[in-house]
Amino acid sequence: MTAIDRSDPDRARPSAAEPGAAADLTTYLRLVARGDADAFDTVYDQVAATVFGIVRRVVRDPAQSEEVTQDVLLEVWRNAAKFDPGRGSATAWVMTLAHRRAVDRVRSVQKESERERRTAVADVPFDEVAEAVESSLERERVRRCLGSLTELQRESVTLAYYGGYTYSQVASLLGVPGGTIKTRMRDALIRLRDCLGVAS
Amino acid sequence: MRHTRDVHTLAGPYAMDAISPPDRARFDRHLARCEDCAREIAGLREATARLAAAAAVSPPPALKARVMAVAAATRQRPPGPEPEPALRTWPLRTWPLRTRPLRTWQGRPTPSRRLVMAAGAVAAAAAVAAAVVFGVSSGGMRDQLSQAQASSQQVAAVLTARDATMMTGAVRGGGTVTIVMSHSMRELVFTAAALHALPASRGYELWLIGPAGDRAVIMLPPARHGMTGPVVASGLRPGDHLALTAEPASGAAHPAGRPTTPMMLDVVL
Repeated sequence: MTAIDRSDPDRARPSAAEPGAAADLTTYLRLVARGDADAFDTVYDQVAATVFGIVRRVVRDPAQSEEVTQDVLLEVWRNAAKFDPGRGSATAWVMTLAHRRAVDRVRSVQKESERERRTAVADVPFDEVAEAVESSLERERVRRCLGSLTELQRESVTLAYYGGYTYSQVASLLGVPGGTIKTRMRDALIRLRDCLGVAS
Repeated sequence: MRHTRDVHTLAGPYAMDAISPPDRARFDRHLARCEDCAREIAGLREATARLAAAAAVSPPPALKARVMAVAAATRQRPPGPEPEPALRTWPLRTWPLRTRPLRTWQGRPTPSRRLVMAAGAVAAAAAVAAAVVFGVSSGGMRDQLSQAQASSQQVAAVLTARDATMMTGAVRGGGTVTIVMSHSMRELVFTAAALHALPASRGYELWLIGPAGDRAVIMLPPARHGMTGPVVASGLRPGDHLALTAEPASGAAHPAGRPTTPMMLDVVL
């Protein structure tokens, strides 16, 4: 069996940022795939804040952010058996779901009403720390790595990832050709990946 | 026909979902053939996951109960690939009969709700007067719905319906409910979490209330681990509301198929 002692109420529930958390989340996801509600409870505790955080960054509206967060977590429950550890970490799998859902929500809303959205750069600076739950160390590391990018790279990533804009929208917001933005985005993520020391 | 190298420059936008649906589809096809690209995307997504982690904010505590309740009523998918279109199973806000947005029934009463509450009070008075007749007309429906409760297949059918719509909200007196509804099937699945515990002499009862008449749906089974349901309500009609009341556990006090106690929940379907 697994190394998880499920009768222990004090079992460790590391946050997604701590070493070993990814392997742990993978283990719990395997249990969730078999319908284990207790394991899903643990998965919720591990990922809910990060999911809600990124969804809220993109969606802004708190009520809608809650709806999207709920959808994402149910998606995790339903599709736990589809997670393939050979294709990336469990954290990345969940966050990819979360971000895509948030972006889908924003874009469908934008279709309905041409609501005015200020740019993510002006509205939500990348070092915003209000109501943070993630360790300040992790936050600091991300901030430092974002700071190591060129200004264009950083703005591209911030607008796209936190702002939920497409690369062509980013291009027109920044007044830069789309082809340039595409390249900068890729370069920026590669630099971030290396700076953050994530396994590739 | 674009050149492969041109497609590959979409890796950055793709990893951040900063891409139009046609471009996303194009890159997906490219990924299926390019293992290096899949590896690169995986690496970039580890980086974006860290960007997400840096934005972490605790969600409201009530969200957890709702998620757990819906998960308990949601069938999981088997492993392996599936042709099902991704992420489209839970569209929100597609219920054509709904007359007000989801959120309004969580907060202050709207005029429409007050109206329904008043109607409920009238119905309650009528119910007391007609106490003897219970069981004749609604008994059959109850049996039917009890059987429905046992049918996890029926629950799964609603949850996976193409037009499944999900609503969540708070119950007056405590607890949260989650409703998943299919307009085309005219059915809904109801689950509740952390409902206020009732004395043994009373139980929660679910109702459909509308122009087509008031119908007792089911006496909810006792909560297990704080979770109630899932139960299925069938035969939804236009204009129906879903209501929850605390009734005598015998169920014998609402002969005319009408609630005898104030509604603790009133959802416009």
